[in-house]
Amino acid sequence: MRILPRSLHFYVAASTIYAALVFLAVQWIYSIQLAESGLVIARRDTGDVLSAIQNVSFVVWLGISLIAAVVLHRLGKAFAEARSEGDQKEQVLGSIFGLSSALAGPLDLEEIGRRFLSTVRGALDSEVTVALIVYDDVLEAFRTIAADGPMGADLHGQTYSASALPAIIRTRVIDHRRSLILSNTGTDADTWAKLSHDMPQVASARSFGALPLVSRDRLVGALLLLSGRAGALVPDRVQVPMIMGQYVAASIHTALSVSEAEARAERETMVNRVAQRARASLDPDEILRATVEELARVLGVSRALVALGETEDDLSVSYEWNAAGVVPVGIGSRGIPTAQLAARLGRTVVVSDIREDPRFAQAFAAGSTQRDAIAVAATPIRVGGKLAGALSFAQIGQPREWSAEDISLMEAVAQELRVAIASAEAFAQQRRVVTELEALNRAKSDFVSVVSHEFRTPLTGIQGFSEMMRSDDLTLEEMREYAGDINKDAQRLNRMINEMLDLDKMESGRMPLHHDPVDLNAVSGECADRVRPNAPTHSLTLRLDPDLGMVLGDRDKLVQVVANLLNNAVKYSPKGGEIVLATRAEGETVHLLVRDHGMGIPGEALQSIFERYGRVESRATRYIQGTGLGLPIVQQIVLLHGGKVWAESTVGEGSIFHVTLPRAVARPLAAAGIAS
Amino acid sequence: MIRKLLQTALRTTTHDAQFAENGVQGLALIERMRPDVVFTDVAMPEMDGFEMADAVRARPELAHIPIVFMTASAQRDQIEECFRHGAAGHLAKPFTMSELRARVALYARS
Repeated sequence: MRILPRSLHFYVAASTIYAALVFLAVQWIYSIQLAESGLVIARRDTGDVLSAIQNVSFVVWLGISLIAAVVLHRLGKAFAEARSEGDQKEQVLGSIFGLSSALAGPLDLEEIGRRFLSTVRGALDSEVTVALIVYDDVLEAFRTIAADGPMGADLHGQTYSASALPAIIRTRVIDHRRSLILSNTGTDADTWAKLSHDMPQVASARSFGALPLVSRDRLVGALLLLSGRAGALVPDRVQVPMIMGQYVAASIHTALSVSEAEARAERETMVNRVAQRARASLDPDEILRATVEELARVLGVSRALVALGETEDDLSVSYEWNAAGVVPVGIGSRGIPTAQLAARLGRTVVVSDIREDPRFAQAFAAGSTQRDAIAVAATPIRVGGKLAGALSFAQIGQPREWSAEDISLMEAVAQELRVAIASAEAFAQQRRVVTELEALNRAKSDFVSVVSHEFRTPLTGIQGFSEMMRSDDLTLEEMREYAGDINKDAQRLNRMINEMLDLDKMESGRMPLHHDPVDLNAVSGECADRVRPNAPTHSLTLRLDPDLGMVLGDRDKLVQVVANLLNNAVKYSPKGGEIVLATRAEGETVHLLVRDHGMGIPGEALQSIFERYGRVESRATRYIQGTGLGLPIVQQIVLLHGGKVWAESTVGEGSIFHVTLPRAVARPLAAAGIAS
Repeated sequence: MIRKLLQTALRTTTHDAQFAENGVQGLALIERMRPDVVFTDVAMPEMDGFEMADAVRARPELAHIPIVFMTASAQRDQIEECFRHGAAGHLAKPFTMSELRARVALYARS
């Protein structure tokens, strides 16, 4: 009887009773019908024939009843099964809805994990271990946020580096986002051996599942299912956890986004503070100072420093902040091991305890600048793809675990610093340009005042003499004399205007030059004769090279060069003295020099005197008339002739002006002929 | 040229006008001549007009002599500098001969 289901007993008993009742009823109706028709069948007498019929019909009835019983039993069972399946579905749906409401609202990851496990638990056998792992961007690893079940303790708190995950999980679950079910790890021995080698925490499982958690096209993590019983996990059985997994994936996604946004907001607040403090000044030093102090305060480190340099070995401390009682490293110090390592690797380096890190054992022992540090961190600062420096932090006296937030904050600030340094550099450059423009503008207005000064003196003469000619009683002779004076002043004005225009033309390349052979010795003699009358207290000596040869050029302009140099020599040696004008042939060039024994030129002005308005302005030169255009004109003319001009001088002893011009090589005789 | 102009302008007056080449000579001339008024350029070799004026002011026996600066600029800062050096007056170039004569008449006693 034990082989028959219990429910069948009822049907068999029921159908047997039913068959017996039907038989007795038929028997009774037969006997009544027979009696009415006058036939009385003696039960016992004629029973042989009739009872045989009766027995056969009883057996038939019994058979029919038994068949009916079995059919009814099957139907009943099917009906009950259908009912129970519906109930289970309802229950699953209920738990899924329960999960979705449990996961509503902002939750942190750990709370999501707890609520998820308590719900998914109900849909799985108690022997199954469930673990929820979530991808952590900062760690670049999967972190177990919740685990429950017989093997839960082994899995709790585990992190799995994305690159170190078993290959099959990495490709199938992470990359292709498909679930992996190994119902019996014994039958997939090869796969399982590899998997459990890379993930030893799950090695004792006999049935294994890994389901991807995907939300809005982002893989946020995975659900690990383990069972100690082979065959416990089959695709059908993991349907519910899989559906629940999609719910929890959405929640995890939201939580991650929220925590990312919060972290971003926190960083932004900090970075904004840095920016605010830095905005008060565009001085890069001030930015470094503000940043380092702010960051040290937020991170709570003992020491924070910025080392600047374009190579790892160049890094030297530009600014450091130290907590009270911490010995400074020293501005300008080099060889900060973490900063160098960060610079070399091009990424953030964190060490929670350098005593346990072989990379630093030597560096910190060997009299390092940071040898009192236990925990260190550094992040490189790169500007325009090139190393600009590094931010370095140290915790003195105790180890410190650097959190993902710490690291991202350092990196964000390094990024801001990069921008700040770049913009401060741009600002400094802008400021240099503005300063240059201001200097140019000042030089221009100085020039205007010099020019107006120079113009006013001849103008005074013109105005004064003409006034007297108009209103005073003058003889014809006096009239002529004053008219001559007026004429001289007018010529002087004209010369000054021409000089300005010439210089302008030459500088803009609009000055046409003749290219004739010119004898510089003749030019020199002519200029000396012209200058002598104006320099009675000077002795002008000519030392001309008879084999000088010719230069190709514009004679009038070269006269202007020599005359300007001689006039300057006279003007700037107000006490008189010897002035030497010499020429020399030097290979392919002709060298002309003018030496005076005047006041000399300060070294820093030797270049600028050739610039427009670059006249040395001092008490000693103030009374010397000049537009500041003489030497710029000389330089322009010499440059247009392909030559060079420069000066050497000792203040108080005198100056020498040198001019070299290319020598005309061809046809010296013919050239001499033309020149004469 | 300016010197010749001044000389010519004052030629017709009864004033005795004397001229010097630079500040040093000017100071010596002032000492010797004790003039009623001094007209001086600012820009001069050896010793400029301001230095000469300071030297004159530093000598009690000369300090009363009015000094008029002839400047090439009518700019405020230069005029102010003249007065800082004790100028009695200021003539900006180009000035007219009547201006010059009026100044001389103002300070000269004879």
